[in-house]
Amino acid sequence: MNRNNIWIHIGIAVILVTLAAVLGQIDRWRSALKINTSPSVRSTPMPKSVARTKEDNEPEVLVRFKPGVTLAEIKKITAMNNDVVEDEIESVKGLTAIDDLDNADAEAVAEQYREMSSVVSYAEPNYQIKLDDPAQSYSIQDGVHRPNDATPDDPQFSQQWALNNIGQDGGTKGADIKALEAWQQTQGSDKVVVAVLDSGVDYTHTDLRANMWLRPDNLPQYTDDELGTFNDENGFNGTDNAADPMDDNGHGTHCAGIIGAEGNNGEGIAGVNWNVRIMPLKFMGRGGFGTTKDAIEAINYAIDRKQHGVNVRVINASWGSTQKSKALEDAIRAAGEQGILFVAAAGNDGSNNDKRPHYPSNYDLPNVISVAALDRNDQLASFSNWGPKTVHIAAPGKDIDSTWLNDDYREASGTSMAAPHVAGVAALILAKEPNLSVEKLRDRLLKSVDPLDSLRGRIESGGRLDAAKALKD
Amino acid sequence: MSFTRDSAVARAKRDLAGRLGISEGDISEVSTSEKDFPDMSLGAPEKGEMSAQMISSGWQIRLGAKGMDYEYRADKYQLRLHDFKGTNYVVES
Repeated sequence: MNRNNIWIHIGIAVILVTLAAVLGQIDRWRSALKINTSPSVRSTPMPKSVARTKEDNEPEVLVRFKPGVTLAEIKKITAMNNDVVEDEIESVKGLTAIDDLDNADAEAVAEQYREMSSVVSYAEPNYQIKLDDPAQSYSIQDGVHRPNDATPDDPQFSQQWALNNIGQDGGTKGADIKALEAWQQTQGSDKVVVAVLDSGVDYTHTDLRANMWLRPDNLPQYTDDELGTFNDENGFNGTDNAADPMDDNGHGTHCAGIIGAEGNNGEGIAGVNWNVRIMPLKFMGRGGFGTTKDAIEAINYAIDRKQHGVNVRVINASWGSTQKSKALEDAIRAAGEQGILFVAAAGNDGSNNDKRPHYPSNYDLPNVISVAALDRNDQLASFSNWGPKTVHIAAPGKDIDSTWLNDDYREASGTSMAAPHVAGVAALILAKEPNLSVEKLRDRLLKSVDPLDSLRGRIESGGRLDAAKALKD
Repeated sequence: MSFTRDSAVARAKRDLAGRLGISEGDISEVSTSEKDFPDMSLGAPEKGEMSAQMISSGWQIRLGAKGMDYEYRADKYQLRLHDFKGTNYVVES
């Protein structure tokens, strides 16, 4: 190569480096303009009137890592992205505030973490929110905007696809019970009591305790002719005829959370009812199984309390077997005669209940609703029982996040998780129309479903529970 | 009582030996695998037993004796014998 060629090559290199620098600056300008003018897409609905900005000294993104990912692993992942962990959010396991050292667009950083779906549950920009219309009744907590208080601030709400399916984790947008629309009408009432006939309820759970039923001071203690009198301050325990219905399994606590975890309290999840009273009726032990007799005793307790003025209107029964019991059927009928709806899981054998009955869901009584389970794509869950004559309605029942023992939360699947969604919506209806008869309540739930092709010929109503439609009288 | 995989297998062998009237040494562990069961009775309810309808993880334990296979199901809190001569049994809970 001669001396002239060398200078030509050096000249071309200088031009290319200069051009790259100019293009990079233009890209940063474009990025900056994008931040200032076009709000990024969020995982929860945001009204158009909200303007958001990102301060340089705030962490760019909030990332929730999946259970089992350690802090050391999180730090490795963030270091690979030239990011740093700014803070762990202790109240929500795995939630981490991350600062991007490149000062890149927050939405782009969030997207980078969302792509790591094997270790990341969700990632979202950490926006500050400024209202441009102070006249509107907005609330702002934790950087999340809530129109008319209908979108709760519970940190795990974005995982609750059953209540608001925005397509998270491969789901289908809108495949949910329309809770946001329903909450515009009512968020529940402490005048409505829902009994959870199950393994008990952890009534000390931070996300449940405000919504737990307590025996009023003016209500006498429960007396059974054979068992005597005992203090039923927190509910009933039929397993040992003791007073304490504390859950030692977790299943009942999970069902209770779906029905009525306190909403908009900045903690955990939101229940179908933000406000309700949950009465624990324990008849299953630590293993999650129990006897017909204990179930009947617990139903008798609920009936007794109803007769003493407690407004028990719904019993949730997320359990069953293929064993028919006339005595249990009679107890459920008696509950119906007291105006109590009995919502029962259809069972998890993937079979047809018309041909292979499952009880108590198959009792042909005017106060019984049998509930099948749907996945996040509006498909009948593979495990769910079905039956065009004996299974009445379907509701979300797969990968459902709810409360668990020891102030924890857990995803669980089963028709056990579907039934409490229906029981919860029944309570919402009663909050709005407290005098509705049990027959009309059942009718309302079944006639307001969203019809689904996947349920045609498999479920009596042919549709998915719709809370918003159910509230329209 | 809280079972681990190994303690559940050991307890199952002891149970089967008692039922068949043989020594535990005559029983082989054919396989033990993690499995999701349809409910909290691990899909093996005793007559009249009601169980929570939540998908539950546990172990499926297959034991062999006298040329026959026997199936036990266990989780942290319970051990069950599935379909032994047409009947399910709660061995321990």
